[in-house]
Amino acid sequence: MLRQFTCIMCPMGCSLEAEVLPEGRVEKVTGNNCKRGKEYAVREVTNPVRNIASSVLVENGELPLASVRLNAPIPKKDIFPVMAEIRKIKVTAPVSIGQIVLQDVLGTGSDVIITKNVKRKAEEL
Amino acid sequence: MRQADAVIIGGGPAGLAAAVELYHKGITDILILERESSLGGILKQCIHDGFGLSRFGETLSGPEYAQRFIDQVEELKIPYITDATVIRLTGDKKVYAASREGIIEIQAKAVMLAMGCRERTRGAISIPGERPAGVWTAGVAQSYINLQNKMVGREVVILGSGDIGMIMARRMTLEGAHVQAVFELQPYASGLPRNIEQCLRDYDIPLYLSHTVTDILGKDRLEGVVVSQVDEKLQPVPGTEKTYHCDTLILSVGLIPENELSLEAGVTLDDRSKGAVVDENYQTDVEGIFAAGNVLHVHDLVDFVSMEAEKLADAMARYIREGGLPPCELDIKTDGNVTHTIPQKVSGKKSFRLAMRVRRPMKDGAIEITQDGKTVKRYKFKKALPAEMIQIPVEAEKLNGEAPLEVNVIC
Amino acid sequence: MKCFDVAVIGAGVVGCAVARELSRYSLSICVLEKELDVACGNSGRNTGMLHAGFTYRPGSLKAECAVEGNREFDQVAEELDIPFKRTGKLVVGFDEKDRKNILKYKVIGEENGVRGMEMIDKKRLNEIDPNAGGEFAMYVPSSGILDPMQYTIALAENACMNGAEFLFDHRVLEIERRDERYIIHTPAEDVSVRWVFNCAGMYASQISEMLGYPNYPVKGFKGEYYVLDKKAGKEMKIPIYPAPNDKGGFSTHATPTVDGNVLVGPDSYVVEESEDYKVTKEHMDGLFEDGRKVFKEMKREYFIRNFSGIRWKRYDPETGAILDFMLEADEKNPCTVNLVGIESPGITCALPLARRAVAKLVEKEHPAVNESFNPRRKGIRRFLDMSLEEKEQAVKENPDYGEVICRCETVTRAEILQAVHNPLGVCTVTGIKNRTRATMGRCQGGYCETRITDLIQKEIGISEDQIRYSRKNSYMFTGKVRDEK
Repeated sequence: MLRQFTCIMCPMGCSLEAEVLPEGRVEKVTGNNCKRGKEYAVREVTNPVRNIASSVLVENGELPLASVRLNAPIPKKDIFPVMAEIRKIKVTAPVSIGQIVLQDVLGTGSDVIITKNVKRKAEEL
Repeated sequence: MRQADAVIIGGGPAGLAAAVELYHKGITDILILERESSLGGILKQCIHDGFGLSRFGETLSGPEYAQRFIDQVEELKIPYITDATVIRLTGDKKVYAASREGIIEIQAKAVMLAMGCRERTRGAISIPGERPAGVWTAGVAQSYINLQNKMVGREVVILGSGDIGMIMARRMTLEGAHVQAVFELQPYASGLPRNIEQCLRDYDIPLYLSHTVTDILGKDRLEGVVVSQVDEKLQPVPGTEKTYHCDTLILSVGLIPENELSLEAGVTLDDRSKGAVVDENYQTDVEGIFAAGNVLHVHDLVDFVSMEAEKLADAMARYIREGGLPPCELDIKTDGNVTHTIPQKVSGKKSFRLAMRVRRPMKDGAIEITQDGKTVKRYKFKKALPAEMIQIPVEAEKLNGEAPLEVNVIC
Repeated sequence: MKCFDVAVIGAGVVGCAVARELSRYSLSICVLEKELDVACGNSGRNTGMLHAGFTYRPGSLKAECAVEGNREFDQVAEELDIPFKRTGKLVVGFDEKDRKNILKYKVIGEENGVRGMEMIDKKRLNEIDPNAGGEFAMYVPSSGILDPMQYTIALAENACMNGAEFLFDHRVLEIERRDERYIIHTPAEDVSVRWVFNCAGMYASQISEMLGYPNYPVKGFKGEYYVLDKKAGKEMKIPIYPAPNDKGGFSTHATPTVDGNVLVGPDSYVVEESEDYKVTKEHMDGLFEDGRKVFKEMKREYFIRNFSGIRWKRYDPETGAILDFMLEADEKNPCTVNLVGIESPGITCALPLARRAVAKLVEKEHPAVNESFNPRRKGIRRFLDMSLEEKEQAVKENPDYGEVICRCETVTRAEILQAVHNPLGVCTVTGIKNRTRATMGRCQGGYCETRITDLIQKEIGISEDQIRYSRKNSYMFTGKVRDEK
């Protein structure tokens, strides 16, 4: 069976075609311009993964929210359960880029990390 | 009046990258003027990842990408003033900015325009209907959701397949809103293919091409929109109207370089790009005023904004040191398949990087740059999309210093 | 139940002018308005023209009030601190038919007492405005332009500082006559008053009936507009109208605004619904085509916004003829003043009408004069209009003047804060916009709207789900993205 994908690994957005064998193994990938495109197609067939970005509440921050993302992609099916976990997180300013605010979210092996420096509110200093 | 070698108007990705590069090129008397309370520009609200692959070889969120440059600015102690809005720029490079401490007046040797762009609005595209709350441009919705912790709605329709619109479709879905569909006037998407994939398809959000909003319903809060198919002339086809009940309409219908200050300084704009006419040094037709980033032409990726600004800084440093740059008198002409080019003028004596976009999607063609009927460069492509900026290096040794250049798309 | 001497129904330009003129006397006054701000109906939905008075039937109330209102407006604008320019107006013609139709109006104008009108040749025409089309024109020096929103706000604020109380979100449902008083029922509360002034604009006929007067037939003539960027307005100094048609009507024209934008419109078509303010593709396309004929700079890139207004005209159902403004006070309905069919030139006529309306009360009960009445009101000082030195000084006195919130219109935090704390207590985004021009520029709030809602929230102390765009249920936010809970 031939399956088609748009590669999301970089902005080029290559159109990929993967030949998938009946047992689910990828026989051949075409249309990719790099190694990552091939890997992407294989993963899309076997276990598609995505990164997600969102925000968490910051207490005493100069901003009400700090943005977060995952430091490694998670299976697509886990996106909404992970979002539910992110929604529960509350941090206290200051927070800085790279800080882990939730480790190994739902056992996915990915951590939720801060992507924006948020200082404490001026009057709180 | 205060003096500075280089004044940079705008502390977003273009301004920051140029400042750092200027410093590395030996120009340290710099001043960045930023209207917001912190540096970073629009990247502050672009919390999704996908930035930095070209510039840093890794994928980052917008705030992380901006912080890389902010850290350098801080480390190099490059002067900047936040909460300072430039209210006037003159042709002789006097800059006036309003701040809480008073009006800042600076005489600059060179000025970089780095004001970025603004979103096209409902009024600009004349969407008919009522005027309820709940109609937002994608960037405004993004700012509310990602910076201000305000949720703009629950049942969403998106008009326009620009990248920010698609990114907001995903963002709002993740926050529990229901995005019913994205409608695009053109017969092709205006955003990048990978955003159609990861922002729409991943979440089962349909994208309808050749459709537009033909009525807005609701006097208080938005109650629905009427969507119609459009014909080849982009006119709504009667009888195809369909009502979508929703409380939110997000518009992602294009970006326009923000050039009000440039115009006041006497800078000539290009009707096609809506940004300044610049030469291979990113210098405008007002000597010593330079422009790069989205104020010059709307980019697809921030990485290219940074890289363009760095190139500008190289030339600007030379300008400041040498008091001028060689003239660039050769026009770059284009055919109807090209929306615009940057630069629009070259000297013919220096290598440069041509940035351009095609007007419609094309497959298996080539972009040919000619001078005096001779091919200077041929750039073959498998596919070319209006969503993507195409960049073609052109080498000096292939050029002569006399004839204009022509850019044609062969397909 | 709240008690007042007088209730003014409707906070349009006429209602606010009546309230202001009433406040010259020792009376307790309330203004009942169904919306959340003044000028939400047609008072804010027009060209902003101070008419000279050359198109109205001699002897009519329209003619009398227009000429009177026109003559006094320099003083009014000065007292109320509102932008106003006596630009004059050109009515341009190309051929003899045009000349004939223009001259008809010149005769009417002279009879109405309009001063200084003259026919001018092409040379003079080009001197006055080199961009004007036409072979000749009638030059009307007394016409002017103003911001109808700012004008209505100023009248209301002046009334308010002289004691009138504005009750927003008070739609009049029913009026009951009880013990020599009127009990006015609104969803918010009942109000008891001795006098009622009907200034309800498009709903004036309904209120008229509630008061015991006829339900006068009115017909709605809707007009749509384009607002163009200030770039388009750079060269435009004077309103230019094409010659009237044989019926005396003007087709689509272009008018500069006091702020430097250009309005193209209105067109005209009949509608049924009182508040059918939607803009339509058909009419926008029509405006674009017609607008280009009179205004060369009518380009799509200058489009900022569209809006519409409806002129609710009183008419004779037998003949279809359009009738004059109605201003009456019938003893059968004691202590009432009824104003119906007040449409264009309602802005120009607002104060003259108000004086005539208030005279009905004064003649009857000779109220004491309000000794502390002050006709002067100060508006919000605009940073944009200041010289560099003035800007410097303003920031020194108030650092909020140094913080630009709206980039396109250069509106500062100081101005937004003054607007948020306006005397009438209005706190919608549209209310801030109409008081400061923030969000009115080419980016339409793309940069400043998020900052304005933030300021409203913090200054008024309301949660995000209480912030409203313009109307009663125009809530902007469904809540927080991340809640404390």
